Amino acid sequence: MELLEYQAKELFRMVGIPILPSQTIKDSRKIKQLQIPYPVVLKSQVRSGGRGKAGGVRFVANTIDAIAAARNIFNLPILGEYPEVILAEAHYNTEREVFLAIVLDYDLQSPVLLGSAFGGMNVDLLLTNLQQVVVEAEFSLFYARRLAAKMGLSGKLICSVSDIIAKMYRLFFEKDLDLIEINPLGINTQGELMALDGKIKVNDYAVARQPIVETLNFSAQQSKTEPNLNQINWRWLDWHHKLGKVALICGSFDSALLTWDLFKQDKVTPACSLLLENSLITEADNLQLYREKLWEILAQLETIKGIKVIVLNIWESAAISREIVQTISDYCRTAEELTLLSKAEQVLVNSAITADNSSNLNVNYPNLKSNQTPSATPYFILRLLDQDNLEDLPLTEKIYLSSNLEAAISEAITIVKSN
Amino acid sequence: MNWSSPNKIIVQGITSNWAAFCAVQMKAYGTNIVAGVSPGNGGTKVENIPVFDLIEQVQAQVEKIDVSLIFVDSYQVLDAVREAIAAGINHVIILTPKIPPLDTIELIRHAKKTNTLILGPGSDGIIIPQQAWLGNLQPQFYQPGTVGLITSSRHLSYEVATELNAASLGQSMVISLGDERIIGSSLTHWLSIFNEDPNTKAIVSIGQRINDNDIEAIIAYSKNYGYVKPVIIYLAGLKAPQEKVYGDATTIISNHLSGSIPAVNRDRQTVNKLKKIGIKVANKPSEIPLLIQETLSAEP
Repeated sequence: MELLEYQAKELFRMVGIPILPSQTIKDSRKIKQLQIPYPVVLKSQVRSGGRGKAGGVRFVANTIDAIAAARNIFNLPILGEYPEVILAEAHYNTEREVFLAIVLDYDLQSPVLLGSAFGGMNVDLLLTNLQQVVVEAEFSLFYARRLAAKMGLSGKLICSVSDIIAKMYRLFFEKDLDLIEINPLGINTQGELMALDGKIKVNDYAVARQPIVETLNFSAQQSKTEPNLNQINWRWLDWHHKLGKVALICGSFDSALLTWDLFKQDKVTPACSLLLENSLITEADNLQLYREKLWEILAQLETIKGIKVIVLNIWESAAISREIVQTISDYCRTAEELTLLSKAEQVLVNSAITADNSSNLNVNYPNLKSNQTPSATPYFILRLLDQDNLEDLPLTEKIYLSSNLEAAISEAITIVKSN
Repeated sequence: MNWSSPNKIIVQGITSNWAAFCAVQMKAYGTNIVAGVSPGNGGTKVENIPVFDLIEQVQAQVEKIDVSLIFVDSYQVLDAVREAIAAGINHVIILTPKIPPLDTIELIRHAKKTNTLILGPGSDGIIIPQQAWLGNLQPQFYQPGTVGLITSSRHLSYEVATELNAASLGQSMVISLGDERIIGSSLTHWLSIFNEDPNTKAIVSIGQRINDNDIEAIIAYSKNYGYVKPVIIYLAGLKAPQEKVYGDATTIISNHLSGSIPAVNRDRQTVNKLKKIGIKVANKPSEIPLLIQETLSAEP
């Protein structure tokens, strides 16, 4: 979970990392009550980077300017995200700006201290000068001094910057962070330090044990809802291809990964993929629920144009496998009936047109076109376990069963190519 | 450690639905679960398995515990592992997933000092078909045989096992590493174990990715000892539109700072490095038995 700048700074303040006097504003009219003396910096509170370049940071000299600037910022989306809050902050004269961060290096299985003598918005310059120190054992101040020296700092800055790093590390460790960053850390002519902007990411697995996080007033955008365990759930994967003709329904993420990959190896890109995950522990064979969820997915897939084949790759119990076949064949039958029904209506409509020969045809039948060509029911390729146990079920000509994944995929590709 | 001989096993966190369900299944299969541990539930029973508040209370009745299976909630895992290590248990399998990474780092450092084997977190356990079942892999999908299987995914191991079974190769042992971003015993560790295991003739590793450190370790092992058995690696989903996740600090911070710039895909590099030291890379599950048979028949 990523904190906004003002939330990060609240945590900075708690451990004694210097920050400027500031105030949050949720309504541009409230800016009249600002306690900070002008000139003031107004900063859009969004998670996306690059807000400075996008116009999300404004310097203002008086209340009138401030109200106008605040209105602008509230109406300016940054990479699609509108701010709910603006941070008004005092101005600070820096002589130089450095970059400091601590991240968890998953490959090294250690926190890593990072620093660059060139902080600020020039990312290329920053990264070219990036230095790192791996915290291999328990943290101690010398790791921070080692980083400061690598960054090329000297004199009193070695100690004052390491002191800031130590405070960052304290937050990193105590609050279960994935990342903590100060960019820039402003240094003025007297050598005083100020955290001018900050980022904090709390590790998602640890959020629930960090009560402080709840006190920071999260916006709806920030808090993600975890899928409910011990349930049957379905969800879209963020994999789409507009021209695809195959939809995948898989029982787990790994199985979707495998199935999609095999299609790609045969030079066919599926249109989309859905997961139908069964995490029930007791009563894992909740057939009614499974049927409902599968039916919901099928209804969703009707909204996607151009789907010719739906492939299911699901490893489930014999009972659920049977229920899947049953549900799909019921679905196909219902779809066929609807098609017949609409064809029958079509005949009526056509005869009405012939009889009437009316010129305002489109007015009378505005939906004529969409009714005329109901999309054909797709083919289904079901890759399920325990084929023997499924053979007695009624299948329509549009449903294929296969216990072999690669055979199922070539079947699907044959259909796509022949239609 | 000989995983196939009857070991004494405890289940930490046995009173949750999930743990109880697994424990009962394992016991019915013949796994020697001597006790469960669940603070506050001492004196009760899960089916016929006695439950204790502390591991040391189990030890008052059972001489030597070989393995602990940990199912406790994610925030309790670090403590549970420490308790197991303090009780002198040398093999710990953590089935609980989604553990805060700082806890995982701490427990791995602790285990290293005490020379404790950690499998997981997020592991589905170990299985020796028709002999030993520890964890959550479903035994009906495996058959006894000669291929050592190391996997990060339960489902993919079923797919690969199905192909191996169809080719009458079966499995000597299946190890689930789990797909957490930080894990205890690594791919390299298990590769070397299988390399020395008399019951294993070929080794298959299944996963979404292998990180650079593991690649280096595999190359180093290959140089120092050499893999005497065919090693086949299957990286699933290389062509799926899955965002690549890299775990090193510099890549993390560069991606974070540059926002939308995607990381350079290093899969090709990984595959080439592996091929260079003679490891076969399979494109799909059905290729795996072919690659094994090819390599085995090419040998004198």
